[in-house]
Amino acid sequence: MSTARIMRFVDPVRDPWQEPADAPAAHTLLSLDQWSVVRSEWPASVPVGVLVANTVDVETLTGDLPRWSLVALQFPKWTDGRAYSQARLLRARLGYAGEIRATGEVLVDMLPLLQRSGFNAALLRPDQNREAAQRALRFFVGHYQGDVVQSRPLFARIEA
Amino acid sequence: MYQYTDFDRQFVRARAAQFRDQLQRHLAGQLGEEEFRALRLQNGWYVQRHAPMLRIAVPYGELSSRQLRQLALIARRFDRGYGHFTTRQNLQFNWIPLHQAADVMDLLAEVDMHGIQTSGNCVRNITSDAWAGIAPDEAVDPRPYCEILRQWSTLHPEFAFLPRKFKIAVTGAAEDRAAIGWHDIGLQLLKNSVGEVGFKVLVGGGMGRTPVIGTVVSEFLPWQQVLVFIEAILRVYNRYGRRDNMYKARIKILVKAEGERFVQAVQREFLAILERDVGGREHWVPQAELDGVASHFQLPAEVRSHASQTRDDVATADTPLAYRRWLERNVHAHRLNGHRAVTLSLKRAGQAPGDATADQMDVAAALAERFSQGELRVTHDQNLLLPWVRTSDLRELWETARHAGFATPNIGLLTDMIACPGGDFCGLANARSVPVAAAIQERFDDLDLLYDIGDIDLHISGCINSCGHHHSGHIGILGVDKDGAEWYQVTLGGSDGSTRSGGAVPGKVIGPSFAAEEVPDVVEALVDIYRAHRQHGEHFVDTARRVGVPAFRAAADAVRRATAHAEATA
Repeated sequence: MSTARIMRFVDPVRDPWQEPADAPAAHTLLSLDQWSVVRSEWPASVPVGVLVANTVDVETLTGDLPRWSLVALQFPKWTDGRAYSQARLLRARLGYAGEIRATGEVLVDMLPLLQRSGFNAALLRPDQNREAAQRALRFFVGHYQGDVVQSRPLFARIEA
Repeated sequence: MYQYTDFDRQFVRARAAQFRDQLQRHLAGQLGEEEFRALRLQNGWYVQRHAPMLRIAVPYGELSSRQLRQLALIARRFDRGYGHFTTRQNLQFNWIPLHQAADVMDLLAEVDMHGIQTSGNCVRNITSDAWAGIAPDEAVDPRPYCEILRQWSTLHPEFAFLPRKFKIAVTGAAEDRAAIGWHDIGLQLLKNSVGEVGFKVLVGGGMGRTPVIGTVVSEFLPWQQVLVFIEAILRVYNRYGRRDNMYKARIKILVKAEGERFVQAVQREFLAILERDVGGREHWVPQAELDGVASHFQLPAEVRSHASQTRDDVATADTPLAYRRWLERNVHAHRLNGHRAVTLSLKRAGQAPGDATADQMDVAAALAERFSQGELRVTHDQNLLLPWVRTSDLRELWETARHAGFATPNIGLLTDMIACPGGDFCGLANARSVPVAAAIQERFDDLDLLYDIGDIDLHISGCINSCGHHHSGHIGILGVDKDGAEWYQVTLGGSDGSTRSGGAVPGKVIGPSFAAEEVPDVVEALVDIYRAHRQHGEHFVDTARRVGVPAFRAAADAVRRATAHAEATA
């Protein structure tokens, strides 16, 4: 779970993840449909990432997850909270240990929720201020309920 | 009452600091109106007709004298000197300028209060029976469970942006005073045949455009499992609830559309959490946690000793009629010997239902301190309740409450109506509620008549969002907008789910809408038909159900003036 504790802000200029090319290339980011076309021949040694729409039941991806270095979840609107549940299921239920990246309309004030739901990378909307996003992660020192980072709720932490 | 721990206190302060940061970014132009909107809503800040409206959480309706005094101070210093208690046991201010919002949140945090999740598409403030812990018909005191739910639902990272708002109500009594059938989740605490505690769980109740009563999804859920079960419900809702149309986004629509499949999905998710998830069993509530939280709700020592050594009778010989009426209507049975619960009526001529001025808040705080262990409750019917009054203090309390305007002996009667703030304040409303409520108050100012009419629930909402619970009124009044004018649709025979009202059910519309000035006539006509047709012992709602809508509709139609004219010329 240690990877989930650190939130990385994706720098779009330096980000290695790229659109698919003709041949399998490292750090290719595919749509789920594109993945299903190439999945039988994609070499295990070439890191691949998949963009998963927020309507997808992530439990249907179980067999493929170990092959992916990155799952990019989407916020088509920032107030559409479906991807929080997807991230939580990927981590806590399906044991996915690669990068879970928030994409789409990712705003400063979502950061605490993203981190606690299992995201460990965020591609902020271009107009967002990274300093404010980092500050947003620091207001609370603890929470009542357990989450992906700290699975025990407050009452279990106090008793321990 | 629950006493904040150091953790609670620093948590609420952190929330206030976070909100200040968001507000500053907004005022500096770095956070646009649309984006700030969802953030401020989750702290209780709406933008209303005249100024922002602040909704302050009163968790399961419990309020201390100290907190109420601070609310009075905020009313005086930042608002126009009054506040409005709501059907969800919260308090609203209507006139606080947005640039002072963060200062108000700091003042609230000083007395362990906040506006967290009083609005927005998240799990709202948990509501409960205002008589929790004192009602003679209570099987299990719901307050410790409410507090556990409050903590669990506060800033839950996965469920902050659900398809729509989500309301949970809890009761532990035989009589449903929390309208649980009308909530997204309704919980009734029960004991099974061997004395174990569990919840009957209802899901998918709600008002709005499509009134629906919740479906029972579990007859007996062991209490230890309640957080996991609710997590399962919310996850299914978050993933599959509709987001394409806000009028179809409440969980009631999902439950109605999916039926048994919804229940099965919740059961599967519940088992998956427990059997497969890392940390899935961590939210199984241990006995030690329940005991720890329950210790906050133990009887005050003074109350316990008084209950053991006193007589329970209330002397009424040679007392004024007004006092006896107050005893009858505003004073309620208590589970403890020598005690009563007393309602301070917020329904009186010249003030909107549920409103209290800063001075009245201070007086209520003082009454609670003197007569009720410094504790008050906000009731679902928008009154204040003193939970720990000694029978021997009743006469003195009555005298004091009367001077403060709190002793109108009308609890449960027609003028004890529920009403939202309506179009005078609310940006959502189609029509005003307050003048309609005032006109009805004025029409029924004769106490003898009110007593003759007896128990009746009159509920007024200024729009279909149903904050005034018109669907559940024996008489419901709904403000609608027709070509820019205010009209009022009237419903008959709704129920909140209490024994007196029968199982929870929405009322039936009795024909086209009425003009504002016709509403008091319509109410009077409906009441007159009841008085003409009632059989021995029947309340209004009983007669309405037995006689049926047509007779009542005909009586209401007979007093149409503006509407008849509008139809004749149409």
